[in-house]
Amino acid sequence: MPCISSSSKPNCRPVWLFFALLGLSAMHTHAKEDLTVPEQVSLSANMSTKQLSISWLGGTATTFDLMILRTEFNETVFYETVSVTVNQVSGRHQWNWTSVEPLECTSLSIKIRSRDGQTTSEWSSTQILQGSDLPSNDKFQMYPQDKVVPVGANTTFCCIVEEGKVFGNIQQSNTVMNTMQLSRRSYATTVYNQEPSVRTGTNILCYDYPKTQLTGAVVFVGYPPLPSDLMCETHDLISAVCQWNEGRDTHLYGKRRTLYSLNKRICPQTQRERKCIMDQWDGNWTLVAQNPLGQYSLTYSAELSHRVRPEAPANVNSIVHAWYATVLWQWKYSTYSSLALVCEVELSSQGYKTTHTFSGVGLRSVDLPDLYPDEDYSVQVRCSAQQNFWKWGDWSKPFFFKTKTYVPEAPDVWMWMNRDNTGQVIWKPLTRRQSRGQITGYKVTFWSPEENQQHTEMFSPDTTAAPINLTQFATFSGNKIKATVIAENNEGESQPASVLIPLRLTDVEPLVVSRAVHTDSGFPLFWWKDVNSTCGYVVEWHEASCKWDCPVEWIKVAARNTNVTVESANFQPGVRYNFSLYSCSSEAPELQQRWQGYMQELVPSGSVSLSASQQDSNILLTWGEIPLVKRRGFIQGYNVYISNGSQLALLADWLILEILASLGITALFLIIVTFICYKKRKCMVHIVEKPEWDSSKEMLVVIPEEDEDEEGQGIGDEPVDTDEPTSLRYYNHVVDERPIRPRYPDSSTSSASSLDSARTDVTYTGIQTSGSSLVFQLDPQGFSEGHQPQTDQFASCVGGGGGYRPQMQTRAQSDDMRPASPEPFLDPQVASGGGYKPQSSWNFDVDAGESCGLAPSLGSPTSVASTQFLLPDEEEHGEEKRQLSSSAATWFTNLLSSTKP
Amino acid sequence: MAEQEEQQQITALDTPVPGPSQTGRAVALARLLHHECTHLLQLYKEKETFLSDHTPDGGRILSLSLDSEEPSTEEQVLLLHSALRQCLGLIHCVIAKEEEEWGELEGDYEAMRKNVRLRLEHLLHSTKDLAETEDKTLEVTPDHQHHTEETDGAGGAFGLKMWTYRVLQELIHWADHAAQTLHVLHKEREGTEEI
Repeated sequence: MPCISSSSKPNCRPVWLFFALLGLSAMHTHAKEDLTVPEQVSLSANMSTKQLSISWLGGTATTFDLMILRTEFNETVFYETVSVTVNQVSGRHQWNWTSVEPLECTSLSIKIRSRDGQTTSEWSSTQILQGSDLPSNDKFQMYPQDKVVPVGANTTFCCIVEEGKVFGNIQQSNTVMNTMQLSRRSYATTVYNQEPSVRTGTNILCYDYPKTQLTGAVVFVGYPPLPSDLMCETHDLISAVCQWNEGRDTHLYGKRRTLYSLNKRICPQTQRERKCIMDQWDGNWTLVAQNPLGQYSLTYSAELSHRVRPEAPANVNSIVHAWYATVLWQWKYSTYSSLALVCEVELSSQGYKTTHTFSGVGLRSVDLPDLYPDEDYSVQVRCSAQQNFWKWGDWSKPFFFKTKTYVPEAPDVWMWMNRDNTGQVIWKPLTRRQSRGQITGYKVTFWSPEENQQHTEMFSPDTTAAPINLTQFATFSGNKIKATVIAENNEGESQPASVLIPLRLTDVEPLVVSRAVHTDSGFPLFWWKDVNSTCGYVVEWHEASCKWDCPVEWIKVAARNTNVTVESANFQPGVRYNFSLYSCSSEAPELQQRWQGYMQELVPSGSVSLSASQQDSNILLTWGEIPLVKRRGFIQGYNVYISNGSQLALLADWLILEILASLGITALFLIIVTFICYKKRKCMVHIVEKPEWDSSKEMLVVIPEEDEDEEGQGIGDEPVDTDEPTSLRYYNHVVDERPIRPRYPDSSTSSASSLDSARTDVTYTGIQTSGSSLVFQLDPQGFSEGHQPQTDQFASCVGGGGGYRPQMQTRAQSDDMRPASPEPFLDPQVASGGGYKPQSSWNFDVDAGESCGLAPSLGSPTSVASTQFLLPDEEEHGEEKRQLSSSAATWFTNLLSSTKP
Repeated sequence: MAEQEEQQQITALDTPVPGPSQTGRAVALARLLHHECTHLLQLYKEKETFLSDHTPDGGRILSLSLDSEEPSTEEQVLLLHSALRQCLGLIHCVIAKEEEEWGELEGDYEAMRKNVRLRLEHLLHSTKDLAETEDKTLEVTPDHQHHTEETDGAGGAFGLKMWTYRVLQELIHWADHAAQTLHVLHKEREGTEEI
């Protein structure tokens, strides 16, 4: 035995190693036996959510390895260790996995093993979720179908080609997508950050290869609902009408549209209205909006009495009178009878709207005051609750009515008297509103208070004047008669409107005639208060050229006023108007003041008629007055030109004379006035033999001086106009027998009577220039443009430096004031230095004796002989020009020197 | 003499002008339907542009079985009437499904779709009048026998689009067929090709 022990020592080592390995093996075997291999693995797939629910029996283990593979290609889709606790009820473990691709795309293999640290159990048996790419399902398919996703989401689609076919591509909106092969027949693609779909969704297309077959899927990309502004109100004081805004477009329609429920009651939906009606007023409401992408809730609370919005008034009617009307309506709900209401009545007439507000319990009628008779009206009514105002109800439908007629308004009466004791009583036609019904006629009565006699005539509705013949009343003892006008319609007579007519015209003209200047708002007129005026004033106006039965306009002014601005649509440019102020009292209207003015001054439409006669070596030029209607503005003076056939040369500018004469007076060098403006318009030209003057070509012309100079546009600087001045040959021999082209359209007319009119002859003898001696005639009427003869005493003194500024347009000036000569014929210095500077105002009623020292000399004809001109000669001008300018300068030098004693 | 001429003119004016015959009107109606069906398909392709370069397969949705190998024109009209009833069933179904899927709309396509339905109903009344006899009473109501399985099998909104496309092409086919068949009937009955 000792042998055994001694000999066995080396042999004991392998035995020890064996037991050690056995022990380790036993320990390991024990550990594996503790980890339960998962059993009864079951799969539950939700295709729409792509979620796979995996459950198994896993014993006490809490950690498992899960492996999911695409069955065909044995590609791992998911392999992770997960912690899963056992469900105490079922005793099973469950874990959910969501696939990126639709679960139909291809078959998936799932296996599980338990894990404890680094120790794992065996894998469970593999469970397979069958895809739609099995050979038994050989159709051409695409997944997912009709998916609804939010805007911006990514969606993975797969296309399973038909068995035996070759995959082509996947497209979206003609874009070929990148694909990944999932199985033999299945291909997947992902669409990223999707935009909202159209109504019929976004198409994802799959083609085979070659392109013979097509399949596809539609994805609906949109938003969850987001309604707003839930509001409930009542119309009948019982039920609730709740409305809300749909909010943003969800891009989901049809079966995917948003459904609404209010307090858990489904709201019937129409295409446009978002409204839900509840039979009873709940006070608290919850609106739930839901679509496939989600739901949204809104709440609203309110008391019924705070949310009353009445219906629109129904069956609106009216009871009309002349000056007011009663508007009535009905309510749809009887509950309004006890409801305090406030109502707005909108009244429309002739394009104007007025709103009246009324209130009352159960209001059903209102009276509308301040209406006009015989007028069409339209009325609409809306109401709200008077207490706890919420909103106005809808307007009723418009209701139309017409007020009844009434007696007319008294017409506005005035008169016009001619100088032969005839005249007219005139009245303004009544407007529709003043007529208050169809006017049937006018009754005019002439009545003499002293004689107590009256004469009445009837006139048709379209009449606005009744003739007067004062000779019929010649035997009357009084000094006036009263004309009364009454308008009539079917309702009766208007109040009488009267005007007193003087039986004996005194023919007194006003002391002054002022000039009225038109402004943007009309002619502003001012006057001193007349203490005798008890009933105000009348301002009348008419065209100054009219003398007989003139179409006169007028305006009545209250006694407290001493100014008025006259405006009329009838004012025409280039027409002179007379404005007359009459005071109103118990006697006949008395003329207080008179103005004249132009709305806009234009260049004269006619030239003067010029004639010349030779007196020894002088030529006497005579021209007539321009008819008033052709003046078209206030005449400022006349220019006399001499024409040699091809051009015009200025002989005299009456305005130069004016200015220089004034200067001469101021310097006291002139004691004797050398020319006279008087009633005759004549100019004596003293002709000196001068060989170089081609008498066969020269003519004399007189041109009224216009306002163009104001704008610095010298006549001589202007090109030739189509108008020519009247031309006379040298020595008064008319040589041009051809029809003279008028400077203005009707300038060829010559008035013989104007030549016979009062005029001033001015004769300048001995005036010598290098080319000629000139004799001029100055006429104060020419300066102040002779108006009515009786106003001659107010003829202006043009040297007074007053400031009248003509109302003319630049264009008219430049167009109409061009001289006949194609070349400048006026010396620039004459044009600028001697040119006429328009005056800012010119009151030609200013007393001549006060404003002008020359007035006495202007009062009678004066002859002036002159031999020297004071105006300097301009050397820098051309010879011809110098000659022309020196003509005027020399003339005036001679003029002044001739006055020396 | 002048009075006589005037009287003749008045008489001529009072004489009713013979209008198109019943068969002529039916032919014109079928042609109009064909035109409108073509336009309807065009409008549909404008909505679903992917269909522009796609030709659906699957053959005819509707098929007619003829009792005899050489049917008479009247028998062909009877068959046509039956096909048109099924066409009316198809368009009714298209309208219902599209409105369910997309909601009710009032665009050009929807207006023309309604036009086609009404025209089809009108043509059905015409063919009924032409083919009905004392022994055989014809219905003009839509026949829905062919649409259910087709649409159910197509699947989803994309399937509806494809099926609608097929239906519209089917309508064009049968409208054309109607025009030709009725024209043959018109020639036989009226002895002229003029409508």
